[in-house]
Amino acid sequence: MPGPYPGQVVRVHSENSIDSATAQVNRPLVKQMIAHGLTELTGDARVEDAWARFISPNDVVGIKLNCSGAPNIRSSPEIVAAIAEYLVAVGVPAKHIYGYERFDNQLQSVGYPKYLPEGVNLYAAEATRSSILGYDPKVYVETDFFGEDDTRSNCIRLVTETLTKIVNVPVMKEHQAAGVTGCLKNVAYGDFSNVNRSHSFEKTNTLTFIGTLANVEPVRSRVVLNIMDGLRGVWHAGPFSEMPQFRFYPKQIMVGTDPVAMDHLLIDVIEAKRKAEGAVSLWDRSMAHVGRDNSDPNINHFIREPGHIEYAGKLGLGVYDSARIRLKVIEL
Amino acid sequence: MLLLLAALPVLFWDAAPDTAPALQDAGIAHIQVPRERLAAWKSVSGITAQAVDPASALKLLAPTVNYRMQEATATAAPWVINNGWRFLRRPGGHYYYDVTGNQAALAAAEAFAYGADAMIHTDAAGLKPLAQMLSFLGAIAGESLPPVADIGYIDDGSAQSGEVMNLLIRDNLLFKLVPSADRGLKVNVKIGTRDYPLADAKNPGLLAHDVRYHLTDERRSVRIYGSPVVVARLTGSGGHLRLHLLNYAAANRKVDGIRVRVLGQYPKHQLWLADGAGVELLDYSVDSEATEFTLPDLPIYAVVDLSR
Repeated sequence: MPGPYPGQVVRVHSENSIDSATAQVNRPLVKQMIAHGLTELTGDARVEDAWARFISPNDVVGIKLNCSGAPNIRSSPEIVAAIAEYLVAVGVPAKHIYGYERFDNQLQSVGYPKYLPEGVNLYAAEATRSSILGYDPKVYVETDFFGEDDTRSNCIRLVTETLTKIVNVPVMKEHQAAGVTGCLKNVAYGDFSNVNRSHSFEKTNTLTFIGTLANVEPVRSRVVLNIMDGLRGVWHAGPFSEMPQFRFYPKQIMVGTDPVAMDHLLIDVIEAKRKAEGAVSLWDRSMAHVGRDNSDPNINHFIREPGHIEYAGKLGLGVYDSARIRLKVIEL
Repeated sequence: MLLLLAALPVLFWDAAPDTAPALQDAGIAHIQVPRERLAAWKSVSGITAQAVDPASALKLLAPTVNYRMQEATATAAPWVINNGWRFLRRPGGHYYYDVTGNQAALAAAEAFAYGADAMIHTDAAGLKPLAQMLSFLGAIAGESLPPVADIGYIDDGSAQSGEVMNLLIRDNLLFKLVPSADRGLKVNVKIGTRDYPLADAKNPGLLAHDVRYHLTDERRSVRIYGSPVVVARLTGSGGHLRLHLLNYAAANRKVDGIRVRVLGQYPKHQLWLADGAGVELLDYSVDSEATEFTLPDLPIYAVVDLSR
């Protein structure tokens, strides 16, 4: 990260990509959306050539899923399936493809296997919640936020020891602590253990922790592509989606190698939706809006930190400056 | 240096001798009984009995974890109920546990780890777990080594001071009681001094943080990563250490892995794990500062012997 296309993002929108009444996804159309996004990003005529810029047949590829709101909201199986099919098409054996997440119960709740090519692996780092055994004891960030005794956050061992490339598939969601949860947070809090401690209190440490984790090798160099699932979204009380009134349907997929530029655009999407719903800004820091009952869209458990994206930009993970972000929009 | 012989806890059984088959079935061969039952138990073959007066022993809390999931609390950390500080405050004392089921095994392990003279009263469900733990403890018992401590704690005997010790144990901040500051230790703690003001001691958790701050994590002899319910005790000297690891949530669940950091270089190790055949330490590493390893499974109690 930020890869060969810093500051460049392709947004592919299609009104027919998902039926907002039934949440039924148009699988062939979604695959086309990804193809258009990639060819527009790279300038290649053939989608296989575009994929070949990022992935070679010798790679072992992780698809970083987001299942933190599963089963209600998660990396859409139709998108994940399309990615896996493209990987197979460029010569990666199915057995060298891993859809992965941290928590097994969330992963299992989605039902990915029936969508994926035969032989693709699914892996959860924590078969039982809080188990450290799926993490690499040698690769960690050590920091003490509030006097907690366990000060380490370790990277998933599959990432450090097995995968050579990662395709990141976040979902368009507001996040109660981080402001939004997009590309950066999905590879940071989604690849490391013991991260909840950063948002134990109303004032969180997400501002710096997300970028710090995303910047750790080998995560930083192995994430080669971000495909943000914006078919569904959450505009309040994320990353979970326990209250259906806060789901919405942006009906889009964003593609890029720059997680900072993409997440900056994600802020715009969520902020616009919140404004349309009459909710306070993601940037609001008033303690008057902090409380337990977040069924009110103006009440949140934390002070949000959408500034984590700009912070990550300062670490060199991508382009935050709106004037330097080049967004291409495709309508299908 | 004085080496103490490790004491094994004993089942205190106040039922009549007609319950002997249950004890024998569990594998219990030695019990302590009320004085008035001694004569009757003497006639039972296969079980030796000794008379004791439980009223003369200090009654302990059942070791466990109180998660307080539905309560508003000052900390999200699970509340570990341990008796280590009581053992340290009253070395040579006699102790009494009244516990049920699997807690009997944890109680035995806790008392053993601290070399405490303890009797354990339990129910029928606790007999087998206790017997298995006692068998395990008997196999690893031997000369116990002196405790390793980073902190010298000057105890004024107050309840407030006891609660600070309780939290130091919970936070794996290794201390021993000293009558006055011991310059051989990394940190000395006395409530009411400039570094540890009386006002802080009103919140014992805050005072424990003060101690950790002055000690620094880098100088801690033991660190536990991956679980807030494991308490460590370290004994040893010279080139040999014995690390005791207690899972206080054992009655409900095992711990699926902890990472342990022990200060110093110890390339050799031997794991003794109660109820965990075939388990080995993983990712064992020794660098210039410390020895680290992963214990993948901690049902109740483990002992790791480390040596150079």
